[in-house]
Amino acid sequence: MWSAIDLYYRLIGAQIRAQLQYRVAFLVELIGQAMATGVWFLSLVLILQRFKSIGGWTLGEVSFLYGMVETAFGMMDMLFSGFDPGFFGRQVRRGTFDQLLLRPVDITLQVLGSEFVLRRLGRILQGAAILAVALALAEVRWTPIKLAYLPVVLASLVCFFGGLFIIGSTITFWTVESIEVVNILTYGGSEMMSYPMHIYRDWMRRFFTYIVPGIFLNYYPALFFLDKPDPFGLPPFAPFLSPVAGAGVLAAGLTFWRFGIRHYQSTGT
Amino acid sequence: MSSIIAVGDLRKHFKVYRHRRGFWGALRNLATRQYALVRAVDGVSFEIQPGELVGYLGPNGAGKSTTIKMLAGLLVPTGGDLRVDGRVPWRERRAHVARIGAVFGQRTTLWWDLPVIESLDLLQYIYRIPPERFRHNLAEFRELLELDPFLDTPVRALSLGQRMRADLCAALLHDPTLLFLDEPTIGLDVVAKERIRQFIRHINSQRGVTVLLTTHDLSDVEKLCERVMIIDRGRLLFDGALDALRERFGGQRELVVEFAELYADVAVDGAHVARQDGQQVVYRFERNAVTASELIGRLSARYRIRDLSVREPDIESTVRRIYEERLLET
Amino acid sequence: MRLFWELCKLSFQRQLTYRAAALAGLATNFFFGLLRAAVMTALYGARREVAGLSLESAITFTGLTQATIAFLSLFSWYDVMNSVYTGDISSDLLKPMSYFTFWLAQDLGRAVAALLMRGLTIMIAYALMFRITLPRGWQQWLALAVALLLSWLVSFSWRFLINLAAFWTPNALGIGRFAFGLSWFLSGFLMPLRFFPDWFVRLCNLTPFPATINTVIEVYLGVLTGPELIQALLGQVLWVFILVMTGHLVLRAGVQKLVIQGG
Repeated sequence: MWSAIDLYYRLIGAQIRAQLQYRVAFLVELIGQAMATGVWFLSLVLILQRFKSIGGWTLGEVSFLYGMVETAFGMMDMLFSGFDPGFFGRQVRRGTFDQLLLRPVDITLQVLGSEFVLRRLGRILQGAAILAVALALAEVRWTPIKLAYLPVVLASLVCFFGGLFIIGSTITFWTVESIEVVNILTYGGSEMMSYPMHIYRDWMRRFFTYIVPGIFLNYYPALFFLDKPDPFGLPPFAPFLSPVAGAGVLAAGLTFWRFGIRHYQSTGT
Repeated sequence: MSSIIAVGDLRKHFKVYRHRRGFWGALRNLATRQYALVRAVDGVSFEIQPGELVGYLGPNGAGKSTTIKMLAGLLVPTGGDLRVDGRVPWRERRAHVARIGAVFGQRTTLWWDLPVIESLDLLQYIYRIPPERFRHNLAEFRELLELDPFLDTPVRALSLGQRMRADLCAALLHDPTLLFLDEPTIGLDVVAKERIRQFIRHINSQRGVTVLLTTHDLSDVEKLCERVMIIDRGRLLFDGALDALRERFGGQRELVVEFAELYADVAVDGAHVARQDGQQVVYRFERNAVTASELIGRLSARYRIRDLSVREPDIESTVRRIYEERLLET
Repeated sequence: MRLFWELCKLSFQRQLTYRAAALAGLATNFFFGLLRAAVMTALYGARREVAGLSLESAITFTGLTQATIAFLSLFSWYDVMNSVYTGDISSDLLKPMSYFTFWLAQDLGRAVAALLMRGLTIMIAYALMFRITLPRGWQQWLALAVALLLSWLVSFSWRFLINLAAFWTPNALGIGRFAFGLSWFLSGFLMPLRFFPDWFVRLCNLTPFPATINTVIEVYLGVLTGPELIQALLGQVLWVFILVMTGHLVLRAGVQKLVIQGG
């Protein structure tokens, strides 16, 4: 177990060293990345000056949703870089994935360690900044439970998006064409979860409640943190389902992933 | 002595789905799928003893890579027996893979963006090589393969020859008992090829590593292997000593001549007519019996020649000839 | 001249073969369109009109922005910098036409194909899903056609220009990401520029970006009429001029550098 963790650190350590070698390039990429993802929030801030609120939620409150998703997605994007469906699909097409099968190490660990995009740190920092702004503006009434639960929600979000990434990568064993559809779930889902979910049409919301349980990972915890009432009348423990939803999606993803590897081994590419 | 590789009636069949073209085709594809069965490996049997250096030849699409993938544990067979070092490769992946090494001519086993030495260091942890053993092997291979000039270069910046040498080192650091080489000299110049061959010979004779070499290059085989297996269309056509192969099919060269006129009788001493196509005639002659220049001399004395070229035997024509022989035998 | 149209046609045909990818892209566009339409509706709340745009127009906006993504290659376009980095540019420069025109022709083919496959189709889907605003009268349609052509020209010119950074630095990709991100922010792609504070709009107008998206959308929605319309279109023309001129100068400098350094 420890040797596996040790190996993981060595794999990503080597990559981080290689990426940091070109400091200028790294900084440029970091800033470029920050601009690309940061402009969405900047727009929202400017727009809300005129509109005052969205769906009844103020800037501080929406920023909370935004900040949680950005921070968690940034962390996932960095940790699960190897499972980025675009990247992994290319590995499979090129035959590089075979390399992993030839090494006496757990495949999942190798994929996790196969790519570590350090510049995605930019998105994490951005998310954290937005979250800080949110917590200042929204005047959260902190309790010990809330303080303890916040990192849990973040971790659950990471697992949730990570699970989606893994599912997307597994699909590339069969076809690369459907990556776009997976992008809808990951990038689309994360944008969707950045706004209060009661603004969406019923069928969209139900999809993200019952099929892909995104609503329990951000919106419901937010209701808890911001002391807002539940407009949908779900049971009172709904805000605390985030670890269940996150772990569930991750577990489903890993199961599908193992099935995908077995399929790959019996049919080749 | 038990064999290190034992293969019995090994089969790998692929279903290749037919893509129907056009709009209606796409719709029908949704309903039912038409497929063809490709028998990539169709009942192959052989045994390899520890310490052997075996060549595995065949034209493109013959089933070589498929066999190797199954032996390496990358692919699950459709049927038949397969045991490597007593294990079923795909069932005991980690244990099996820890004892074998593999080098692919077409792609690297190393990390693309990392300096060579960092890749090799990572392998120490991946294969759990004892530090002493790792240092010893690394030192030996660095010298034999002359890796020092580019140890700190990222793999992506290496020339093909350098990359091959780095891959060979990487494949042997963990003291595998069996080494798969898939086209290790492809695209290399003559000097580089010889260097690689020397190294392979060394690790086979000095370290006793069993080597299975797939290649298109007949001179690879001639310089390295004593035993040769030839596969075509999923079946083993030949499995025996290189000498036997050479006696039967090798050493034959072809002279393709385009005559200035149409001659009825194009016979010449020292060669026999393999094909005649109007003014183009293909002669076959034994390397030892007559030289090309002698033959050309004899021909030009008798006939008027417009153009000619000499063809060396390649694996495709060798295999074709084996088929011809088989047809003749039956 | 014939070469131009040949290149254009080839590029167009090539885009048509990416049917599966286009379909998947459409699904993505549609999802994000719905998403943004919901956000827009929530923003409006009880209001019927904001800054001259009705809710219907605002929702149409969310569809229009999706429709222009493929048309204007909004998210990324790094073809030129890639060809500089791989060295392909040396053979491209030998072709019997200006390098700028070479890419212009190909981008035109690509843009027209995208407009049909992923622009028109999205708007049709939107029309089935929502009540959307349509241009009224042949003058508006004409103005729209002109604005589309001009916005494509502005878009291509600035994309081409930013790619030229590759002549001077190996980090052109990072710069490109930054520039594209900035373009979404300042072009009225994320939200109609009219919704933003005045000082911000003034800032945007110092850049060519509004001339790519905001102008053409406002022409479509009919919020620009008479002198305002002419002014907007002329603004596009001005930006085309500036960007093409700059592009030519920078390209010349870049090629000189390439030739001197030996590529």
